[in-house]
Amino acid sequence: MLNMNNVSRIYRNDTIQTHALRDFSLEVNTGEFVAVTGPSGSGKSTFLNVAGLLDSFDQGEYSLDGVSVHGLKDDDLSRLRNEKIGFIFQSYNLIPDYSVFDNVDMPLRYRGFNTAERKRRVEQSLEKVGLASRANYLPSQLSGGQQQRVAIARALAGEPKILLADEPTGNLDSLMARQVMELLHNLNQEGTTIIMVTHDPDQAREVSRNIQVIDGQISDFKIYAPLQSSESSSTETINNKERVDA
Amino acid sequence: MLSYNVKLALQSFKRAPSLYFLVLLTLSIGVGLLCANLALVSSMAGDPIPEKSDRLFHVSMNTWPTDKPAAEPFHILRYREAMKISESDIPKHSAVFYASGVYARDSQSISLKRFDSSVRATTPGFFALTKAPFAYGNGFAKSSGMEVVIGDQLNQKIFAGANSVGKTLELDGELLTITGVLKPWYLRPLFYHATEGRAFNLTDDIYAPLETAIDLGWSIHARTSSAVSYKGVQFTRDRDVFYLQAWVELEGRAQQQAFQNYLDNYSQTLKDAGEHPLNILNELRDVNAWLSELKIVDQKVLAFTLASVLFLCVCVFNASSLLLSRFHSAKFEVGLRRAIGASNKNIFNQGLTESVLLGLMAGFLSVLLSWLFLKLSITFLPDLANIAVLDPKLLLLGMLLALVTSVSSALYPLYRANRYTISAELK
Amino acid sequence: MNIKALFKSLLLRKFTTGLLILQLAITLGLLVNSSILAFDTKGKISQTTGLDNDNILIMSTQPTSGSYRDLDYFRSIVNQDIVKLNQLPGVNSVSVTNQLPIATQGMSSNIYDLDNPEQDKTDKYLQSVQYILTQENLADAMGFIILEGRFLNKDDQLDFGSEQKRNIVITESLKRALYGNESAIGQETNNGFIVGVIKDIILDPTLPSDKQYGMFVNTVMEYIFTGRFYVLNIDPHQMASVRSQVSETILAVQAERDIFRVFTMQEHLNRFYRDDKGLADLFLLLCGLMLFITAISSYAYSQFHVSRQQRFIGIRRALGARKKDILLYVLTENWFVYSIGCLLGCIVVFGFNILLSQYISLSKPDIALFLLAVGVIFISGTVATWLPAVRTSNIPPVIATKTV
Repeated sequence: MLNMNNVSRIYRNDTIQTHALRDFSLEVNTGEFVAVTGPSGSGKSTFLNVAGLLDSFDQGEYSLDGVSVHGLKDDDLSRLRNEKIGFIFQSYNLIPDYSVFDNVDMPLRYRGFNTAERKRRVEQSLEKVGLASRANYLPSQLSGGQQQRVAIARALAGEPKILLADEPTGNLDSLMARQVMELLHNLNQEGTTIIMVTHDPDQAREVSRNIQVIDGQISDFKIYAPLQSSESSSTETINNKERVDA
Repeated sequence: MLSYNVKLALQSFKRAPSLYFLVLLTLSIGVGLLCANLALVSSMAGDPIPEKSDRLFHVSMNTWPTDKPAAEPFHILRYREAMKISESDIPKHSAVFYASGVYARDSQSISLKRFDSSVRATTPGFFALTKAPFAYGNGFAKSSGMEVVIGDQLNQKIFAGANSVGKTLELDGELLTITGVLKPWYLRPLFYHATEGRAFNLTDDIYAPLETAIDLGWSIHARTSSAVSYKGVQFTRDRDVFYLQAWVELEGRAQQQAFQNYLDNYSQTLKDAGEHPLNILNELRDVNAWLSELKIVDQKVLAFTLASVLFLCVCVFNASSLLLSRFHSAKFEVGLRRAIGASNKNIFNQGLTESVLLGLMAGFLSVLLSWLFLKLSITFLPDLANIAVLDPKLLLLGMLLALVTSVSSALYPLYRANRYTISAELK
Repeated sequence: MNIKALFKSLLLRKFTTGLLILQLAITLGLLVNSSILAFDTKGKISQTTGLDNDNILIMSTQPTSGSYRDLDYFRSIVNQDIVKLNQLPGVNSVSVTNQLPIATQGMSSNIYDLDNPEQDKTDKYLQSVQYILTQENLADAMGFIILEGRFLNKDDQLDFGSEQKRNIVITESLKRALYGNESAIGQETNNGFIVGVIKDIILDPTLPSDKQYGMFVNTVMEYIFTGRFYVLNIDPHQMASVRSQVSETILAVQAERDIFRVFTMQEHLNRFYRDDKGLADLFLLLCGLMLFITAISSYAYSQFHVSRQQRFIGIRRALGARKKDILLYVLTENWFVYSIGCLLGCIVVFGFNILLSQYISLSKPDIALFLLAVGVIFISGTVATWLPAVRTSNIPPVIATKTV
C-alpha cells in the first residue's frame, strides 16, 4: 500500500542544513494500523507530511497504492491526495463558518461528483462517525471530540485508501480521546489502513504495529514494549531493512 | 466547479467586506476616470461620418492676391473661387458656405421673443454631402430664394417639435419659409466647420441659401481675411474677401485627380493673368486628414488622460497590495483545501473567479463613475459640453479594463499563494 | 537606528514594498506637477494687464430685431444708451468698441509705414495687428496712459462713407516696431496717420509682451453693427451698484437686445484662463484622489507587515524595548520607504513634467515645490499609518511565549 525507500527530506536555509528525514524506509500493507512515535523534533510529523504528499522529499522513492510519486506533476499529486489519502490533524482544521455538512463535503468538490452523489457520501460518512444528526451544526457548536469526528468524516468522505492521523487526540480530554480512538479502531477493523503519529504510549501499544522515529530515521532504540504478544502486534525497529519480530 | 467557485468568492467577500470594498472602490475610480477621459478623446478624435469620410474633401487654395512669403494655403476662399468649385460637374456633390447668426422668431407668433440662432449660409449640395437627416420636408433646391431648413433644437424651441414645414420665420426682419426640418443631428467633431475653435459646436440651427444670405447682408461669424475694405458681406462677391469654405464629394482616385486638375488649371489661368502671385498649392483633404491637420484634439484633455493612466497604475498597485494581504490571511484555508486534494490549478481558478467577479462589479461601478466624471469635467472645462458623452463602445471598454485590472492586480498574490508549502500553511 | 537591518527587513518583502515605493513616486510626480500647474495659472490670472482691471465694466450685447439693419436707427439707440449709462451714479466714462483686449481672436490688419512698405515682411507680427474700432471715450473708459500725442477725438470720426485717410492711435510696442526710438506722431501708415501712442496693454496674452501690436480708429459709429461691447469706467466701490443696473438701463432704452454678459475686466482676464484653471483644478482633484489611495496602501502595508511580525515585536518587548521604541521603529521603517519613494519620485517628477510639456505649457519644477510635496507625502503617510503603528507598540511581550 505505502512504500518508502531511502527517503530523505532536507531543510536548507542560508547556513544550516537539517535532515528532517534521513534514509527513511518503510512498507505499510493494506489493513494495517501503524503508530509512529518518537521524541519531539524526531521527524515523525515530517514523515507524515511527506507520506500525505503535503511536503516533498529530496532523495529516495515513494509509491502509494502502486503509484510512484516521483516526478508527478502537481495536478496528479493533488488527485492522489484527494482520492487515496484522508488526513486527520491534531487541531481538526475545520472551516469555522462552514456547517458540518459543508466541511465534510469539501474534498468531494474536487472530485467532480454531482450534488446527489456528494450528499450521499457526506451522509454516509457522518453516519460512520455517528454525527448524522448534527449535519447543520457549526463547529463552534460542537465539543472537541465531535469536531475531530467531523474531521474524520471529512477524511473518510472520499473513500480513501489510507488515513493519516497527526496526533488526533492531542487536543482532547481522555474521555473524548477514548471515543476517537475507538472510532479509528472500528474503521481499521472494517479494513481502513491507518498511520497515526502519537505521543501517547498507551495508544501506541494498542495498535498492530509500532514505528519509532529518532533523528529522522527509524531507530532501533526500543521505547515501548508491546502490550500483548500476538502475531498482529510487533514493535518494529528498522535499520538497514532488518525486521525483527518480537 | 464554476458555481462552487462563485459561491466561495462570495463567501470570501463577506469575510473581508471592507477590504474588498476598498479594492472595488480604487479599481472603479481608476477605470472610471480613465474611461471618461478616453470618451472625451475619442469624441474629439473620432470619425464623425465614417460612411463617407474618405470621399468628402475640404478645399484649400493659395489664391491670396498679394505676395505673402511662406504662406500656407487658406482654408477660406473668395466668392469667385467658391463659384468655380460650385459650377464644376466633377464632384458628386459640393457645398460652399459661410457661418453666420441671426435672431429668429415665428412670424405668426404674438411674442416678440427672438432666439439667437447659428446660421449656415450654403449652396443646396450641403445636405446630400453631409447626409443631413431630415425629419420633415427636404432641403432648398437653389442657392437663392427665401427658404430655409431648420435644425431639431430650434424647431423644439419655436414650434415645440411639430412639423413646421411651410411656416415662415422672421429672421432679422425678413420673412423666410421653412422647407425642411432636420432630425437631431450630432457630428462629433463638427467636421464641416472645424476651424476657429468650432470643432465641438453643435450642428447649425438654420441652413439658408448662400446668395440669399449674402444679399440680406448676414454678417460673417468666422475667419475672414481681406486685402481690401468692404462695408458688408453683400459687397464681397467681386472683391478679394476670403470667407467661404468648400467641401466636395469625390468618388475614386480618378475623380479626385480630375478635380485636382480642375482646380490647378483654374489657378493657372489666374497666374497667367498676373493675379496669382503665390505658388499654386491647391489641397484636397478628406475628413480625417483635415481634422488631424487642424489638431482639434484638445491638448489639455490629452494631458489629463496621461495623468489618469498613471492614476490607474497607482490604483492597480493599491489593489494588488490589498489582495496580497487578503490572500495571506486566507492562507490557512487554502492550505487545508490543498491538503484534501485541491490542485494548484483549482486554487488558482478559485482566486481567478474572485478577481473576475470583482472585476465585473468594478466594471459596473466604473461606468457610473465615468458618467459622473464626464458631468464634472464640464464644470472644469466648459468647452467640452457638447462632446462629453458616453459612447456604448466605451462602456464596453470600461468593463474590459476593469476585468483586466482586477485580474492583473491579483496575479502576483495568486502566484505567491501557490508557492507556500502546504504543511507550512497549516501550522 | 540600524539602517542596514531596516533595509534587510524591507528586502524580505520586496513585492509590497516595491509597489508602495512606485505609488509614492508616482504620487510625488503628480503632486509637484499639479502644484506647478496651479501656480502657473494663478500667475497668469494675476498678471498686470496695463488696465484698471477692477474698475472697468463691460457689457456685451447684440440687437435681436431686424430694425437695427437701419444703421441710423441703430446709432440713435447707441447714443441714447451712452447718455443713459453716463447718468448712472459712479460711472465716469462710457465707450463702445468692437473687440476687447486679452483675446486671441478679433479683427486684425497688417500695418507698415508708407515710406517702408516691406516692413510687414520682416516682422511677421506686423501682418496681424489688432484693429480696434471705437470712439473718443475709450481712453478714459479703459484708463489708457498716453505716451505721445493724444487719443482719438470727435474730429477723427470722419463722415460716413468718406474715403479720406484716417487718424489712428497705436500701442507702444507697435511704435517701437515701426519707428524704433523716433517719434511716431504724424507718420503715415497704410492705415492712416498716427496721432497718438498709448502705453502697452495686454492685447493677446499668448504673444510676447513686446509684440502687443494694436491700433485704434474712430469708426465704430460708422460700422455700428460691430459695436458689440460697451465699456464703462466706474468709481471704486460703486461697481456692485452700477453692475446691477446696466442691463435694465439699456433695455429701458430699447428692449430688443440680447445682453450676453456683464463683467469686469478682471473677470474677463479670469475667463481667458478659464480652461487653464479648469485643468489645474482637475489635476488637483486627481492629486487628492491619489493621495487618498496611496494613504490606503500605506495603511494596508503597515497593517500587513505588523501582523506578520507579531512574534518578533513581542520578543523585542520581552527583551526590554519600550512602547516608544516600537512606535519609532515602525514609523522609521515607513519613513525609510517614503524616502526611497521620494527619491525615485524625483525621476517621475521630471519625466512627467517633460511629457506634459508636449501637450500644455508648464513651468519647470523648482526645489521649493518639490520639498513641499515631499512634506505632504510624509505627513499624510504618517497620519495614515499612525493607527497600525500605535497598535504595534501595544503588542504585549507575552506574545513571545505563544507557540501557536
